Amino acid sequence: MARMKFLADAERCIECNGCVTACKQEHEIPWGVNRRRVVTLNDGVPGEKSISVACMHCSDAPCMAVCPVDCFYKTTEGVVLHDKDICIGCGYCFYACPFGAPQFPQDGAFGLRGKMDKCTFCAGGPEADHSAAEFKKYGRNRLAEGKLPACAEMCATKALLGGDADVIANIYRDRVLKRGKGSEIWGWGTAYGKPDKPAAQPGAKS
Amino acid sequence: MPGSRDMREIVRLLCLLCVMLFAPLAWAAEGGGAKEQALRQQTQPLNNAPVWRDVRGGENPYQTTQVRGIETSVLVQTEGEIWRQIRNGPVTIYGGLFLVAIMAVIGLFHWLHGPIKLHGKPTGRKIARFTDWERLVHWATAISFVILAISGVVILFGKYILLPMFGYTLFSWLAILSKNLHNFVGPLFIFCAIVMFVAYVKDNLWQSYDFKWFKNAGGMLGGEHLPSGKFNAGEKVWFWIGLLLLSVAVGVTGLVLDFPNFAQGRGTMQLMTVIHAAAAVIYIGIALGHIYMGSIGVEGAYDSMRIRGGEGKVDETWAREHHERWYNEVASGGRAAGGGVPSAAKASTIKEGWKL
Repeated sequence: MARMKFLADAERCIECNGCVTACKQEHEIPWGVNRRRVVTLNDGVPGEKSISVACMHCSDAPCMAVCPVDCFYKTTEGVVLHDKDICIGCGYCFYACPFGAPQFPQDGAFGLRGKMDKCTFCAGGPEADHSAAEFKKYGRNRLAEGKLPACAEMCATKALLGGDADVIANIYRDRVLKRGKGSEIWGWGTAYGKPDKPAAQPGAKS
Repeated sequence: MPGSRDMREIVRLLCLLCVMLFAPLAWAAEGGGAKEQALRQQTQPLNNAPVWRDVRGGENPYQTTQVRGIETSVLVQTEGEIWRQIRNGPVTIYGGLFLVAIMAVIGLFHWLHGPIKLHGKPTGRKIARFTDWERLVHWATAISFVILAISGVVILFGKYILLPMFGYTLFSWLAILSKNLHNFVGPLFIFCAIVMFVAYVKDNLWQSYDFKWFKNAGGMLGGEHLPSGKFNAGEKVWFWIGLLLLSVAVGVTGLVLDFPNFAQGRGTMQLMTVIHAAAAVIYIGIALGHIYMGSIGVEGAYDSMRIRGGEGKVDETWAREHHERWYNEVASGGRAAGGGVPSAAKASTIKEGWKL
């Protein structure tokens, strides 16, 4: 079975927020809840980069570990889903998540947050596929329709890739080879030392 | 060894806290991550470590997002994983073992030693120990504490004990009830604890004779029972460490957790839950001892807190055996039974009277 993953290519992202809009539109998400967001690094200064981030469907998901009622589960494709009927709205998954993925419809006094909502990798929830209850709680189940997540499908520059880990990793590898620089994945420079001939880096010599 | 691993996790969290506190200063001193990145590109081209360090720090003012909300411009926060390790690790494991150990010690004491009985015969003459107001305040605090303790235990340990027994649906229902009870009764408990502190503080001030009491834990570790005032030194520890210190610890952290509408960051919430859970587990542990001593552990003790029936009165013999100084004060008319405190001048005469 394929292992589903997201891959955000910072070299390609143009911060159009198309993924965010696609997600909201596809799942009819209420105001204030953002399953996906685009974070821009060094906004307005040289070296600006943008990365689209949502639930990354971690292998060892911290949200699953800290949930006091164990409402999370993992599909055979590695997608981390949760059961809103079980969720108590304690907010612990939000504290634990590295990516700020869990969302709460309210932030009321006395800890009244409502049921947690997050990216489902367009894979719905525990209810029957394509049922009205599933759509209302979790949005569309595109995976069951044989489609990939709406955000990645909608991405104009194909900066955001979502799908079988092996396939998207191969696409990214090809891009890295064509670009002629392989260090965009964090830590490579430190691990493999500096090349003999430094690659041209705009803005580096100043 | 799991113990040393947990310790390393705690040290890591402390280091991280230091980093969180001082990173902005360092960042400003170095002229930002962008400058560091530019320097790194000259020595190690294509090494983007400074960029990612900057991203993880989340302090860069040029890091933005269109999405509004709490810390939405933070791309990644690594503290959550450390919080998970501490919460699911030492807090749950050692906290649980601590509570089990306390219950085992109490059970063992009750089984081997049995309740602390009166040595003399009850005289039948009753002395008022707590007023109606004092008992009302005690029970309001006690009932809200027990609700908080049980609901808190359900939220922290229920997943491991109750969930396998009840199943997901029923346990979820119980957890929702626990969460809402906890969140609404919490502020009520804080109010009750403040009133209780005011109502009980005058009899809980430390006296010189209290410190001698600790030598044999008031006779529980053998030897004779040293005379104590209205409250013995053990009860005073419960008052100052429990009612004051631990209430402040769980109360302040609890209020921060209970009102997320003030948009507290995740780092604050993580720290608060760890302090809250650790203090609460200690609080529950000591409370178990207090509940045991006040109910079946000490014969006649419960009469003093009875809402009806005994009406807050204890037998003369009980008063003499457990709180001799208080008994003498009352018997010599130095203070009104049940409440009030004698003046300093009167106290000295009572002391002389007690010796006679």
